[in-house]
Amino acid sequence: MIQLAQAANPIIRWEYFVDEWDQISEALIQHLQLTVAAVGIGIALSAVLTAAVLRFHWTATPISGVTGVLYTIPSVALFGVLVPYTGLTIWTAVIPLTAYTLLILVTNFVAGFRSVPPAVRDAADGMGLTPVRRVLGVELPVAAPYIITGIRIATVSTVGLVTVAAIIGQGGLGRLILDGLRRTFWTPMVIGAMLSIVLALVLDLVIQMVGRLVTPWTRRSRA
Amino acid sequence: MTTLATSIGSLPALPAATWLPSVPAMSSLHPLPSLLGQAAVPRDIGVFEWLFDPDSWSGPTGIWSSLWETVRLCAIVVAVAVAVTVPLAALLSHQRRGEFVATWAVTLSRAVPTFAIAGLLVPISLRQGWGSEPWPIFVALLLLALPPIYLNTYTAIRQVDAATVDAARAVGLTETNVLLKVELSLGAALIISGIRVAAVQVVATEPIRAFLGGDGLGRYLRDGLGQNNNSLVIAGGLLIALLAAVTGLSLGAFERFLPRGVRRLRKAS
Repeated sequence: MIQLAQAANPIIRWEYFVDEWDQISEALIQHLQLTVAAVGIGIALSAVLTAAVLRFHWTATPISGVTGVLYTIPSVALFGVLVPYTGLTIWTAVIPLTAYTLLILVTNFVAGFRSVPPAVRDAADGMGLTPVRRVLGVELPVAAPYIITGIRIATVSTVGLVTVAAIIGQGGLGRLILDGLRRTFWTPMVIGAMLSIVLALVLDLVIQMVGRLVTPWTRRSRA
Repeated sequence: MTTLATSIGSLPALPAATWLPSVPAMSSLHPLPSLLGQAAVPRDIGVFEWLFDPDSWSGPTGIWSSLWETVRLCAIVVAVAVAVTVPLAALLSHQRRGEFVATWAVTLSRAVPTFAIAGLLVPISLRQGWGSEPWPIFVALLLLALPPIYLNTYTAIRQVDAATVDAARAVGLTETNVLLKVELSLGAALIISGIRVAAVQVVATEPIRAFLGGDGLGRYLRDGLGQNNNSLVIAGGLLIALLAAVTGLSLGAFERFLPRGVRRLRKAS
């Protein structure tokens, strides 16, 4: 009986792609939105935290401690614990997702700015740059490769985590996975899982390419 | 109810899809029905009232048996990951090969999409007649555990002082003994910390199993969400977070039991 049902239930039905494209594209767009929101807020918060670490050295230990602890909280648990407070809204997904990006981003941002040679900083000061212009015009470009790597890793890991948010009714492509499981209809599951992996790879590539465009000098030095 | 141990022992004989009962009415949040049914918990119960009630801990849907399910799967996953990865990474690192794998591991260790992988494997596993549980989640968790262990083992062997290794060769140790007695023991602290990172990630991710047709500690979260019972959701979340914390702390304590000379290397790094 079950065997029969399974025989009529192929791993993937390609016509589903065309017929249910609305649903798929909606899930894909929600997945992207959640990722961009989480990584965007994560970058903004991490910039502030990085500035604090670099400016006031005593903040390094508490900041790395807190972001480290946040990172080890199981995502399923955090989604669940937030439900009673933020309901089944987008925030219940975005808050944990943002929290998980902080450790990756702050670590990479700080490593980037620490990689700026003191001589470069002194030279910028010597040329009479204001501190703001020194940071934005000199230190930021030097730190850029680290910053871009951090954003890449954070984005790829967030794309993977967004699927877990399906358990609280968010989760973009993860909802296709859960939906397929519930109906024991494999096509949406396989499409959801594959698209979320493809999305991670594509975003990784895009950020890498944007990174190359904004740091042309790294290519020149390698040639 | 197929246990992991029996399903590993009698893989092809597993009945296909016994976990598929008639699918109940679909709300957007109703999770997969579980094998053992859901725990009946009154909605107005307090989080700690439920947690401290002995009845919550006993029986087939109780916390003890769920905890055991989770711990058993995680222990097997980590054990297999260690058995596969540590020798491989140690050998490659000793021969100064496979650096590119370590580079991948850095990126991969934070980007394995466990839920997608497990979801992708469920239909395949069912069609093979292996059941929906626990193979898909086992493989997905294994893939999650490999990168940190590989990375740390590789780095551990790599950063053993070259002079020490030369000295070991000079006093006549064979290459095998250089690896086993010198490099591995000096790298032990870092290797164990890789295992700790992997174990914490595995324990933290295992609860998605409850949403993939299995049980384990994630069941309370799933049942709580399905029954719209916030106390159960919070209690389930707390239990998962607590287990992850205990795993991290106990393996961290294990690192501290290592001989002093071994620990010194870690501090220097």
